[in-house]
Amino acid sequence: MMQHFPVLAVMVLFLGAFLVEIFGSKSRLTRNIIALAAASLSFVFIAALVKPVMIDGQIISYWMGNWTPVEGYAIGIGYEIDQLNLFFALLVVLTFLLSGIYSIRYMEKDRHLGHYYTLYLMLSGGVLGLVLTGDMFNMFVMVEIMTFAAVALTAFRNNGRGALEAAFKYLVIGSIGSSMTLTGIALLYMQCHTLSMAQISAMLAKGLSPTGIMALALIFIGFGVKSFIVPFHAPAADAYAAAPTSISMIFSGMVNKAGVYGMIRIVYTVFQAMDLEPMSLLLVFLGTITMFIGVTMALAQHDFKRLLAFHSISQIGYVITAVGLGTALGITGGLFHAMNHTLFKGLLFLCAGAVLYRTGTTDLDKLGGLSKKMPKTAICFLVGAFSISGLPPFNGFASKWMVYQATYSKAVETGNFAYALVTVIAVVVSVMTLASFIKVTQAVFFGQLPESCENVTEVPLSMRIPMWIMSALCIFGGVCYGFVNKYLLAPATEAAINVSRYIDVMMGDGYAASYGVVDMTVAPAGFSYWDPLVWLVLFIVVLLAFCIVIVTGRNTRGEVLEAKPELVDPKYDTFFSGEESMHSHVGGSDLFWGFRTDWKGYFDFMQGMHSGIVNDYAIWAVTATGCAALFMFLFIH
Amino acid sequence: MTILKDLFYILVFPGALFAAVIGLLLAGIDRKVLARMQKRVGPPLRQPFYDFFKLMGKETIIPHAANKAAYLAAPVMSVASLMLMMLFIPIFGFSAFSGRADLIVLLYLITIPGVALIIGGSASGSPYAGIGISREMVTMMAYELPFIIVLLAVARKVGGSELCFSMQGIADWQAANGCALFHWALIPAAIAMLLVIPAEVGTQPFDVAEAETEICEGPLIEYSGAPLGLFKLATAIKMFVMTALFTALFLGGIRTGFVALDAVILVAICAVLTVLCMTLIHAVTARLKIEHLFKFYWTIVTGLALISLILVWLGL
Amino acid sequence: MIIVNYIASVLLIVLGLYTICFKKHLIKIVIGMGIIDYGINLLLVSIGFNDGGTAPIYSMSDLLNGVSATFFVDPVPQALTLTSIVIGACVDAMALALVIMIYRKYKSVNADDVRRLRG
Repeated sequence: MMQHFPVLAVMVLFLGAFLVEIFGSKSRLTRNIIALAAASLSFVFIAALVKPVMIDGQIISYWMGNWTPVEGYAIGIGYEIDQLNLFFALLVVLTFLLSGIYSIRYMEKDRHLGHYYTLYLMLSGGVLGLVLTGDMFNMFVMVEIMTFAAVALTAFRNNGRGALEAAFKYLVIGSIGSSMTLTGIALLYMQCHTLSMAQISAMLAKGLSPTGIMALALIFIGFGVKSFIVPFHAPAADAYAAAPTSISMIFSGMVNKAGVYGMIRIVYTVFQAMDLEPMSLLLVFLGTITMFIGVTMALAQHDFKRLLAFHSISQIGYVITAVGLGTALGITGGLFHAMNHTLFKGLLFLCAGAVLYRTGTTDLDKLGGLSKKMPKTAICFLVGAFSISGLPPFNGFASKWMVYQATYSKAVETGNFAYALVTVIAVVVSVMTLASFIKVTQAVFFGQLPESCENVTEVPLSMRIPMWIMSALCIFGGVCYGFVNKYLLAPATEAAINVSRYIDVMMGDGYAASYGVVDMTVAPAGFSYWDPLVWLVLFIVVLLAFCIVIVTGRNTRGEVLEAKPELVDPKYDTFFSGEESMHSHVGGSDLFWGFRTDWKGYFDFMQGMHSGIVNDYAIWAVTATGCAALFMFLFIH
Repeated sequence: MTILKDLFYILVFPGALFAAVIGLLLAGIDRKVLARMQKRVGPPLRQPFYDFFKLMGKETIIPHAANKAAYLAAPVMSVASLMLMMLFIPIFGFSAFSGRADLIVLLYLITIPGVALIIGGSASGSPYAGIGISREMVTMMAYELPFIIVLLAVARKVGGSELCFSMQGIADWQAANGCALFHWALIPAAIAMLLVIPAEVGTQPFDVAEAETEICEGPLIEYSGAPLGLFKLATAIKMFVMTALFTALFLGGIRTGFVALDAVILVAICAVLTVLCMTLIHAVTARLKIEHLFKFYWTIVTGLALISLILVWLGL
Repeated sequence: MIIVNYIASVLLIVLGLYTICFKKHLIKIVIGMGIIDYGINLLLVSIGFNDGGTAPIYSMSDLLNGVSATFFVDPVPQALTLTSIVIGACVDAMALALVIMIYRKYKSVNADDVRRLRG
């Protein structure tokens, strides 16, 4: 029974999409019920697989139509769920379920919501199918479904500023990526005459012919386009900003990760190319420049969601760098950071959506002081901001520390100084991320409230629930990271490395051995930074200090500190050197002025490069493909 | 019994009380020596203590525009994390809590006071604070880079091919091989660290974030009473923590066997370092602008640290 | 193995990429996307070709009697091509819909004018 669950999980979403289209255009209640029911059912199916796959260590293999391999040749479409698939599938279902709950209130003022839910379910189904499948062409079809639904959703609010052009650029660049993937799959088919990933990886175990190298380059670039690494990142910035926020959360949480999953699967399992040093260098190089360019561009933005989009790009750079190292600690760190990124970036986008829902703008120059009106959103935002900056005890710190340790250990292991520089760049990028989020906190939540935001209230409960769930998971991931490591990360890392088991389960025992598949040897990961005693001590000291502050802060009449709005004593106003106080909020583009002036040449160059013209972005994509293919041909043999 | 011993470590020595007293003492030494360098008499050595207790007795005023929770939590977090740092820095062979990854703990704990100052200033809702926090963040960005490189260089030098991130391990290595400062590959790193210390503490010429004459003390402008006292205490403890860290990393080979004597030697070395890298530079220079500060740290100081890292990497 | 087909498909793909990269008119860009699809479809179909083979429609008994493997062309790439054609059609339709709405909103179909999101 259990082996039907993966297919059912995907099918229920597509079925839900069609049902919403047929029945949901009239009644809002029917629409919401069908959409949420489909999403929840899918979540239940995937969650039911956690025990057998993650904990007991089985691998589920399922051939559609029961077309099992004939005489060692795969002729059907296979779905194979091992721990790596299930890890990403869990992230996917969690994200789209929370997004669905959020959209109930968030999207209520839009029209054509029937189409919205249809597209949302198709997008979710496409990504889930991509993550669960074991067949190359099925992966391509799911990628196309995902791209299509994503483009349509980006353009959903087509009166919005720039929504149509963002969708068009996403479509063009995404279509270049998909075409590369399809060409690569065609070349792969030419070489192996089969489409099942298990059988292809067995056949390519001996080494890569030139066709194979070209196929690897093309498919790798195709998935790179989908995960928006530099230099394919420009449409991502536009699309995340223009899409409705519940969809932006899906983009940054699922669609990115689907691209990352594709890259891991292709490089580790299908081509077994991770042993090759040039491949590792290519991944680390791409990851590092992605990290750096993402965060420096983010410092120059003054639109809230575009800034979050650039940070998404930067964090994916961390994941690609860690995964590209090829060590167990690296893969664990990369996967952990992917999971944490889904959680904290989803949380940040939901907070941005809450601000947009209530104030109607995401321009950092026009907002301010919202923590007085939306305190709960402010707390969730601070949790997300501290997580992404890598401050303990949140989850971002644990995963970023794993990434630093992985890169520095690889530097020491191989003696290659470049990896030490990667560690240094990673830490600097982390500090710049912190800077960027301090800027957003000051510009949006702290500071003075402008008059246009006087009537803002807190967002409704159904929008707050996903935010709370994600904050709780952020804190949980940081505090109990050992638990997460044991049950989620270690099995997934095992699965990524252990190729022969993947092949054997699909094609029959002994198949892998007959083709001479050799597993990658990696040293086991050892990692510990956690000392609970430290935190107990901190808690005691903090508690004592708080008591001192509260006790000594009573004024002469013994009242505890309070700044009631009724008190019109001028000592409670903001200090203005004796002038009358007026609205003078320092936020948005005013912050980090000195830093931006210092780097004026760099920022002018980068902002000139991101010209907004689709042809420029296409030229980058094609040039990058050419360079990657050339690099691989020269160095892999 | 260990609970009581741990509580003693946390609250008295080398934790809260010891750190606070020595920190305020170093702050007093700094002010007195600065005054003498400027041909003034200067306040007595006990002045920071008087200031702290005076501030504790004043009324705390929370402005209307401020976010109360963050405003009150920020100084507390700042002081708490600094006291926690003191527990991990060995006093020449005695360290209260030591594990395998102390440098990691220190690295993340040292960003917390800076972030707490920023959040506190941001939460107070004043435009002067807004400018101040922006400058403070850029200062943090500027000095984090060379600081990280110095720590990586020391970890590699001490540990060889398996990096040593444990402070106790660094202290033991220096007891066996002589002070790290005497290995000439680490001298550029030591100079870089000496230049990072004034920026961390926030003395001139790197105090652009709290420029009294331009932005009326920046993030601290709306603070009064006990929270302000705690922030001033945090600055004082930070002086002690940073100089103690420098001593532990680079001058850690001295062992006399008596904890009390070690502590006295540590305080003496910290006082000398305070005068050398904070008071001296404070007396002689003017305040740098934020662009110049950033350029200074990312070119000269990072250059020095990188030289050390490369030399250590090459095995020297 | 038909060399002419492979060369033609590579040429088509390169032409399509050139059009996307250097032509400013949005409809030309969409046509470029279409040309890339045609090139890939041609590549896919040509992969399955076996010299002298016929269409792959057989019954089980014919196969069991030992018909030689190269007697029919590979059916799988034909299926892949059909799927790819459908996907290409959908993508082109969506792209053209977007171009129409962009024209209504921006009053221009030149890529140099459609750049409000930049920097």
